[in-house]
Amino acid sequence: MRKRQNCLASLASVAIAAAFSASTASAQSVDTARIESGGQNDWLTNHGSYKSYNYSPLSQINASNVGNLGVAWIHIPGKSTRGLQSTPLVADGVLYYTGSYSRVFALKGDTGEVLWSYFPELDEALVARQTHSPYNRGVALGEGKVYVGTVDGRLIALDMKSGKVAWDTKLIDSQKLTVGFTGAPLYAKGTVIIGSQGGEWPGRGPIFAVDAATGKKKWEFLTVAGTDDAQKTWGNDSWRTGGGGGWMPGTYDSETNTILWGTANPAPLYDWSGADYKTQGARPGDNLYTTSVIALDLDSGKLKSYHQELPHDAWDFDSAVGEFLMLDRDGQKLVVHPNKSGFVFVYDRNLGVKNVWRLVQNINFVKDIDPKTGELIGRRDFTAGKVESPPLCPYIGGGISWNSGSYNPKTGLYYKIGQEWCMTLEVQKTTPVVAPQVQLNIGADFKMAPPPGGEIYGHLDARDPVTGAKKWEVRFPEPPIASVLSTGGNLVFLPDARGTIHAYDADSGSELWSHSDGTGHQGGIISYAVNGKQYIAVTAGFGGMLSDDYAANFGGVFKSMPRDDGALIVYSLK
Amino acid sequence: MKLKYCAAVVLLAVLVASQGIAMPARAQTPEDLANFDVNQLFASTCGFCHSDGGREAGKGPQLMGDQHDDDFLRNRIKNGKQGAMPAFGGSFNEQQIDAIIIYIRDLKPR
Repeated sequence: MRKRQNCLASLASVAIAAAFSASTASAQSVDTARIESGGQNDWLTNHGSYKSYNYSPLSQINASNVGNLGVAWIHIPGKSTRGLQSTPLVADGVLYYTGSYSRVFALKGDTGEVLWSYFPELDEALVARQTHSPYNRGVALGEGKVYVGTVDGRLIALDMKSGKVAWDTKLIDSQKLTVGFTGAPLYAKGTVIIGSQGGEWPGRGPIFAVDAATGKKKWEFLTVAGTDDAQKTWGNDSWRTGGGGGWMPGTYDSETNTILWGTANPAPLYDWSGADYKTQGARPGDNLYTTSVIALDLDSGKLKSYHQELPHDAWDFDSAVGEFLMLDRDGQKLVVHPNKSGFVFVYDRNLGVKNVWRLVQNINFVKDIDPKTGELIGRRDFTAGKVESPPLCPYIGGGISWNSGSYNPKTGLYYKIGQEWCMTLEVQKTTPVVAPQVQLNIGADFKMAPPPGGEIYGHLDARDPVTGAKKWEVRFPEPPIASVLSTGGNLVFLPDARGTIHAYDADSGSELWSHSDGTGHQGGIISYAVNGKQYIAVTAGFGGMLSDDYAANFGGVFKSMPRDDGALIVYSLK
Repeated sequence: MKLKYCAAVVLLAVLVASQGIAMPARAQTPEDLANFDVNQLFASTCGFCHSDGGREAGKGPQLMGDQHDDDFLRNRIKNGKQGAMPAFGGSFNEQQIDAIIIYIRDLKPR
């Protein structure tokens, strides 16, 4: 028995050494095949791989030694207006990440030494007019380049080794539409995909495909009335200013050469139509393809299939969350996509609904969603006036926010943050907005409120991603809003809003380690290896459209928490 | 509707003549003026950050009972504050900003 154990240990050592040695090999080009194979030392795309697991198989840091985790190095990007919201990427021992104003840094993954940096010159007068700005949520890698979007509507490619601009393509007339790009792009098969902001800003929310080599635009898909059929779902010409967008990166299914993307909400956010929303209100109809998941052909941008998660979304519970967990379960190829409302949708690869389950308890914008069809049951469509009893649940911040959960193929569990909060509002009967303008289009006054009979809180759940069956839950007094990481070391990392990063046992949810990063978290967390050593990298730095709510509503540490500061903090075993 | 439009045009003319108000930052059509409603404006734009119509702190500060003078408010609405509030000088004209200031001064608890 002992011999067998020794033998297994030796085999494991050889396997680990072989795996780690790959990280010291000379840099290879990042391409679709490499992203798809998801080498364990790297983090090559926003969700870790096209499977969107936000999972690292590395196990050097594990449940038995995580207590020895300490800070390896820190990088301060500076000028972190509205904190840091970026998810770093790593290829061949080099870490790439962004700060506010789309500042890009390439750092040595083991020491933090700056290899190069790039600060784009932005249209400052435009930035001063924007609401969802100037933060940036990350880059894409591919074909020897680093791709980053800007809030003034450009997609820029930088040489991966030098940081020099390879091309700089203007995609959106941001002067006219006031929106640009904050989300990370996605690289797939010679193409870079990026979705625009939109939602409450009047426009048609385009998603773009750009040639990775030249920067030339390949195609554009409009999430508002992108087809003739869709245009019929917007009454009174409301499609001209319908909002939409696709501001978080989706993923790529190489088997079908398909881009999967989540789209944002229609404008105004809150409609006064009442139950007759098909014919009445600010935007009569279902408002395709807002608050939907869409499947686009990578080469042509043609719509292959879609599912509108919330037809005529009247609550700002959009589908812009970029996670599309690609699972193989009992011979079925499934896609799991969380919606901001707190429901999680399970699809087949053609976006046919297979199940819908609740991550969040406090949901009352509908009575339910049919798990077989995805149909909304018992909608709450408001007319102009107050909405107080009961308040609308969840709050505008969502039962699920834009950051990512993590699926661990070893435990089979999906680790995801739920947010329990509600809101009162007074819906206004607004004058239709008929052309893009430099104003938001919200449609209601509102404020955060506790759930009926309870308190506001957040929770990290460990659940079956297909059925929603819960294995464990950890609660937090304020909803955490950063991404979650799980690893092959049987660990789940959660960076919370107060500024503490926690490590939990992936099977039981027991807390094994915690450390203060000194300010709130609202960005990404990843793991990678350089020269045989595993690292955990997390962005800290608070501020932005959701975290700006925390000081007024939760007080405490949030009252003094800066909203113009941030750091990248990297941990390893001491 | 016609009466509302005429009243708005007359009001604008009086305001410009009597107070020497600067030209609007954005050209306003008669339709804009006829349709202008500060409650709508607040709910469409300002209320996203100033909770409960400005009665409570949210993403932005509480505006009800604000102690700053009108010039401060006018400047903040026009020029914003980096990282905290967008500049609306290109969106709202002087009359609209005046109306927003009056709205803020008139805020009462619900």
